[in-house]
Amino acid sequence: MSAPPLLEVDHLVMNYVTEKGDVSAVEDVSFTLHQGEALGLVGESGCGKTSIAMSLLRLQAENAVFKSGEIRLNGENLLALPEDEMRRHRWKDIAMVFQGAMNAWNPVYRVGDQIREALDLHFRPRLSDAEATERISRLFEMVGLNPAMANRYPHEFSGGMRQRAVIAMALSCDPSIIIADEPTTALDVIVQDQILQELKKIQRELGMAIIYISHDIAVIAEVTDTIGIMYAGKLVELGPTVEVFARPKHPYAYLLLSSTPSVTGPRRKLAPLEGEPPNLLNPPTGCRFHPRCPFATERCSIEEPPMETIADGHRVACWNWREVPVSIAQEARP
Amino acid sequence: MTEKIDARPGADEPTDLPPPIISPDSVPDSMWRIRWALFRRSFAHNWKLFRANRVGLVGLAIIGFFALLAIAPTVLFATGIWNSAVYDPVVGLEPNPPVKVMTVVNEITDPETQIDFRHVLLDNRIPNNIQVGEQVEIPQQPAPPDRRHWLGTDPLGRDVLSQLMHGARAAFFLGILAAVVTVIIATTVGSISAYFGGALDSFFMRLADLLIMIPFLAILIVIGAIFEFKLWHLAVVIGLLSGFGGVAIVLKSQALAVKVKPFVDAARVAGGSNAHIIFTHIVPNVMPLSFLYMMFTVTSAIQGEAALSFLGLLNVRISWGLMIQLANTQGYLLQGLRYWWLLFPAGLAVTLISAAFFLVGRAMDEVVNPRLRKR
Amino acid sequence: MTEPLVKVDRLTKLFPVSRGMFRRPVDFIHAVDGVSFEIAPGESLGLVGESGCGKTTTGRLLVKLMEATSGQILMHDDGSMIDVAHIGSDDLRRFRRRVQMIFQDPYESMNPRRTVFDTVSEPLAVQNIGSLREREDRVAQMLQLVGLTPPNTFLFRYPHELSGGQRQRVAIARALVLDPSFVVADEPTSMLDVSIRISIMELMLELADAFDVSYLYITHDLAVARYMCDRIAVMYLGKIVELGDTEEVLSNPLHPYTRALLSAVPVPDPTYRKPPVEIKGGITKAINPPTECRFIERCPWATDVCHSTEHPPLEDKGGGHFVACHLVEKGAG
Repeated sequence: MSAPPLLEVDHLVMNYVTEKGDVSAVEDVSFTLHQGEALGLVGESGCGKTSIAMSLLRLQAENAVFKSGEIRLNGENLLALPEDEMRRHRWKDIAMVFQGAMNAWNPVYRVGDQIREALDLHFRPRLSDAEATERISRLFEMVGLNPAMANRYPHEFSGGMRQRAVIAMALSCDPSIIIADEPTTALDVIVQDQILQELKKIQRELGMAIIYISHDIAVIAEVTDTIGIMYAGKLVELGPTVEVFARPKHPYAYLLLSSTPSVTGPRRKLAPLEGEPPNLLNPPTGCRFHPRCPFATERCSIEEPPMETIADGHRVACWNWREVPVSIAQEARP
Repeated sequence: MTEKIDARPGADEPTDLPPPIISPDSVPDSMWRIRWALFRRSFAHNWKLFRANRVGLVGLAIIGFFALLAIAPTVLFATGIWNSAVYDPVVGLEPNPPVKVMTVVNEITDPETQIDFRHVLLDNRIPNNIQVGEQVEIPQQPAPPDRRHWLGTDPLGRDVLSQLMHGARAAFFLGILAAVVTVIIATTVGSISAYFGGALDSFFMRLADLLIMIPFLAILIVIGAIFEFKLWHLAVVIGLLSGFGGVAIVLKSQALAVKVKPFVDAARVAGGSNAHIIFTHIVPNVMPLSFLYMMFTVTSAIQGEAALSFLGLLNVRISWGLMIQLANTQGYLLQGLRYWWLLFPAGLAVTLISAAFFLVGRAMDEVVNPRLRKR
Repeated sequence: MTEPLVKVDRLTKLFPVSRGMFRRPVDFIHAVDGVSFEIAPGESLGLVGESGCGKTTTGRLLVKLMEATSGQILMHDDGSMIDVAHIGSDDLRRFRRRVQMIFQDPYESMNPRRTVFDTVSEPLAVQNIGSLREREDRVAQMLQLVGLTPPNTFLFRYPHELSGGQRQRVAIARALVLDPSFVVADEPTSMLDVSIRISIMELMLELADAFDVSYLYITHDLAVARYMCDRIAVMYLGKIVELGDTEEVLSNPLHPYTRALLSAVPVPDPTYRKPPVEIKGGITKAINPPTECRFIERCPWATDVCHSTEHPPLEDKGGGHFVACHLVEKGAG
């Protein structure tokens, strides 16, 4: 870890301004991403993971306001850049596979032509026709599509193929970071598996960094080196994926893992998480998880726990992380 | 059969709950009281959304203004402020109109309009044996606004303001009746077509196509020319034409979207009959759109009435269209602004109230369609 | 073995695909094609498969939201088996009390203009059960059971005032208010967040015991099926290809499709080494499918036998583990 990080998110705070008041969507989130690293952000809907992804590209919603913090790409604060300079980084340095992007292809243009358009917008100097065709063919091969498919229309693609084409488009300008927001949601398991394997392979070959964003902790387990668990706008635990899955330290992470059914291992009783996520218009005081937390003490409702480093690269924001059992409950299901 | 995972942001955020209608440990309340409380709450909520739209408020204010005008004559006659012999919109007559003394030059015609006075004035003050060179007192009708007649009088010496007020009554009666007929028919036809489909649907939809193809005004003129056409006849005809026509198609497409919702399946699985499903699930979900189209129907009904009355095809006591028609047949229409009180009050009233209902409709559209709402 | 609660025999549903305006339909989507299974009283059967495999259609046929093209659905009713396909309108009403359904989308399965009370009491109202007062008590009792407490705070809420998890609880209350013996649950948790999903699943298991209901649990998620179901049936293009006790099927999958599906499921364990997914091509459509094995185009092991014979029957390969594959030996189960 001696090399400087590619991307640093430093104490980022972002609110959505609404009629009813400010929604605290991202609260004091910090993490780094190194060359070739695969980071996963996992959490439930409304936990702020997509808000972070959009912020990295500065494509946040119009009513979003950055209260404080920085997002540094190679040391340069993206939040301070004027829009036209930001546009140069977008796609070239950071590309994104949007949630539901597979349904965003324009039905009346050939898929290859739509990728070509992206190339023309971002690639300098502009590629010649031959170069562009060559490049698109290579991209298609990379994501496991027949290059001849570039001349086809979106409706001739299946869901999985469309998603592969979306990934090809994200790769088109050799970005150093790809953000994949729910890249396989709405796909069937077999196709999901194929696409995840493809992404892993590409990442290995090109040495890119990827940020996976998903609600599905099993998907994150499969493809990432580092995992960040988010709850109600806060990053509550961050660490090596293997370590966090083996020894989750934040009660939310612990309960999330305890309540994830699996097809492997013993058939165990799952512990339901009581209650529902808080309304971020008016988040709970102290630790945002305390109303649902079985380990909560009085301190949790008053003081906000800071992110504490408990081992190399493993950080957790909880006053009582020592109380959390060492491994997941394995109570067998009756 | 898609397995989609919902990832709408905040989809599972607990909503801000308003206080419950019944408190957790109260004595059981009667059902209608609860329904009333629910209705009041949802009305308050929708009113809040509506209120945010300034255009809609303007429309509502205009409608309110005309509603006051429509009620006013009842009050004015009852309190004796207005004497019905003078102020009745049809048979009233101003007994002491302003008088102009003129010398008879050749014929007894009004120099302005070239119309024989005896045809126009139902007045016996002009002696029949009048000679050229004699002086004669000619009552000035139509008379411009004065203290007794704020909007002047018409060529027959009747009060224009009173006519305008009674015209507002006619307009409300016509517009609302037409709209109610339209909505009842269109909602029923749309829901039934969507729910049952098949031959019934084809029949109603082809009928709708046919009615859309027929030029609206032309068919009203034809009907008006053949039959004696009263105001409520017109309302019903307009209601039928738009109820079986375009509005039915719009409401059907809405009903189709409702029909495929799982709650309709759930009702069927519970054992609900077709009638139960149509009237408790489909119609209530089509209703908001129906109300919207009610507003637009009012607009087209009032405009249709004005056109028909202007052509003299409507057997109606008094209406705004008739006021303009009278000004026209008596030759005052093409006199520029000189007889403005015969033309503008009625013309403006038609325009304003049409616009008002339309504006209210637009504002309701935003309440009904959250997508149109600004955040 | 006790008498089954539901017995489905060679159930088939074909959807015509008409080409051109006036031509008669010549092509058919074989959405459900000769499906047979039984569900014992109190047992939960999981119906698992990818989108388009016919699992939802099967569920809708069972609750009579659709008419089957052919085949039988027999329901145990007062000591005799009644044929659901040929049911009279009076009996249909009675049948509706016994069989209910829970839908996937909690946002669309409640009428937005009706309150929780209206929604949950609807089955009672259309079945003419009880007075208004009695219905109110019954609904309150149901809300209590599904964990919406105190019931009075929820009775007169509109759906938009509830969260997804709460709505699904209301849907469960509606499905169980008539005290049915059989409930078809179509992906009831797939649109919910993870933390809420488990509590809904737990609730359904609890109520299955309390109300003595059997579920046909339709899901694309094998991990969820494992948690919810005693037995699972794997569907591929309208056919059941494997059926057996949940643990047996998951630990000893015999059909090549089940194996592929199982190895593709992501596992929440970063140290787990997944076996490769052995399957060819992408999902095909069930329009006029070949008479040979349904899986033949995607099967990496297809042999001459597979190409020269018809779709294999669903056979007991031992211990109640049914598989429809020529290549699986008897006794493998």
